[in-house]
Amino acid sequence: MRYIMTSDRGGSVRKRCPARQYDGKLYEKMISDFSDDNKMFFLTPGRISARIFASDRRPLFFAFVLFTFLYGCALPRNAPVEPFPAPRRPEPKIEQKKAPEEKPLEENIERNDFPVAKEDDVVGRLAAVRIEKGDTLPDISRHFSLGIDAVRAANPVMDIWAPEAGKQAVLPLSFILPDVQRKGIVINLAAMRLFQFKEDGNSLSVTTYPIGVGTEERPSPTGQMYIERKMYRPTWYVPASIADDHRKRGDPLPPIVPPGPMNPLGEYALYLNKSSYLIHGTNKPYSIGLRATNGCIRLYPEDIRKLYESTPVKTPVLIVNQPYLIGHRDGMIYMEVHLTPAELDAEAFDKVYAKLKYLDRKRDRRIDWKAVKRVLAEARGIPVPIGGGQKQSGKDMAGIVELKRPDKFYGKPEIPEWQIEGWYILAADLRNEKDAAKLAAVINHQGPHIPARVLSKTDSHRVIAGPFNNLNEARQAAKRLKIDLEIEGILMEPARK
Amino acid sequence: MRKSLWAILIMSFIAFTLAGCATTRDLEKVQAQEKQTSAKAEQALQAAQDAQAAATAAKVDTAAQLEQANAAAMKAADAAARAENALKMAEERAKMAEERAKMAEEKTAAAEEKAEKADVIFRKSMKK
Repeated sequence: MRYIMTSDRGGSVRKRCPARQYDGKLYEKMISDFSDDNKMFFLTPGRISARIFASDRRPLFFAFVLFTFLYGCALPRNAPVEPFPAPRRPEPKIEQKKAPEEKPLEENIERNDFPVAKEDDVVGRLAAVRIEKGDTLPDISRHFSLGIDAVRAANPVMDIWAPEAGKQAVLPLSFILPDVQRKGIVINLAAMRLFQFKEDGNSLSVTTYPIGVGTEERPSPTGQMYIERKMYRPTWYVPASIADDHRKRGDPLPPIVPPGPMNPLGEYALYLNKSSYLIHGTNKPYSIGLRATNGCIRLYPEDIRKLYESTPVKTPVLIVNQPYLIGHRDGMIYMEVHLTPAELDAEAFDKVYAKLKYLDRKRDRRIDWKAVKRVLAEARGIPVPIGGGQKQSGKDMAGIVELKRPDKFYGKPEIPEWQIEGWYILAADLRNEKDAAKLAAVINHQGPHIPARVLSKTDSHRVIAGPFNNLNEARQAAKRLKIDLEIEGILMEPARK
Repeated sequence: MRKSLWAILIMSFIAFTLAGCATTRDLEKVQAQEKQTSAKAEQALQAAQDAQAAATAAKVDTAAQLEQANAAAMKAADAAARAENALKMAEERAKMAEERAKMAEEKTAAAEEKAEKADVIFRKSMKK
């Protein structure tokens, strides 16, 4: 057995080295190092004993031993020692903490069709989608089959036309069914949603769509009705009241508007038995979720087609106005509010309060009144647990589904490329880029579509509408901009005729 | 007699001479007195010179002190002026900040109003 003694920071270290390292050049170098009185000893046990005990070096040795004993092996510390491979320690097994697995984003979520359990009144799930630059809430609303006001209520601090990129927009895709018999078509004006119930044997399902409803001046009717007739590509016979309104605005309408892009009924219409009221499509898709009709019920063009196809004549239609909804799901009690405290509907509120009191008296279903208060104050139009189960009350955002952002939002207005031969309208010249982008977005979401873009210079941002194929089209668009948006546009001739 | 006269004369002469002339001791005395006097004079001169020097130094000191005092006073005045200026500027800044805040508020209000107006216009445009 051979040993090497080397210094190791003031202490002696005895390292067992593999024999192969003593062969060849390395071995000779070590010997020469030793003979040169270098700072390394290379010895064998035989040599050690011979040198020490067979000579008169004993005193020296003992002195050395004593010295070493007292001082430690004070061999030079900076000896130029060939680096020997240190005995390999097994590397400590560090269990690397696994990064929390990111939940894969769901690509799709059910927006319209839901099964309805017998005891439950709440359907769907809340979801969220990430905003990117250039997105608008109306585009997101349409893609997820939601109304604009519903999305706005669910995201109260978000700018509807220029939401901040990177934020999550809440999609209120969970609904409390209206407190009525689940049969045929039920419309809740307060929630601005239509529910179409379908029975299949013992199971019940519901298809729900966002709707546009009547204004305060011309509200949609309530009560029990039915579908009297249906019409594909309907003709609009302009009612006298609407004709009057248009005339006053300087936009006289013809008495009859044939099917086509200028027809506000869209492609499909379901006529209610109550005269002059229809459930129809629209040429203004971004009016869905707003109180903007003359009493009719409007649906997105893609939704009215499905409703039209699945609704037979004589289907019962019940129109209700329930701004305060109470529902159950999995033993929990939920509340959904569609009116802010300023818009309080006292009669409806009294009804819902009585219902809550009744539920609170039941021992197993205590109501969290603080949560009720908060839900009423926020009025976000989404079902929020208010008691009755294990789930924490008031936590409306628990279990929210994060969705993968679609590459393109369905129906998002597209802006044609710049055409040198096209006619344009200078709609505005603004200093603030954001204002310009918003105005362009508002123009873009008109129905029928008016394309608009922002052309930015160093200190001004011009909102340009177009291109239009000819002067007449450009004039028509300019007129619409003036009447509908109060914009005095300037016509721009084609750069190359 | 003559002899005695001579003797007396000589004696007298000697006596007068001796009486009239200063003795070495006297000389020494005089010299010593002279020395003393001159030393005193020198002392006095020195004292006078010292006094003058002291007076000059004192004058210089006073001047320096005066100067220092002046400088300190100027500094103090300067500092006071600066402080006043800073106070004024701070006040101005506060005013400007207030004005800015007001303007920001007005801007926000205007933006909100604009947004509301845009919203109203958009809603109106969505009617039939």
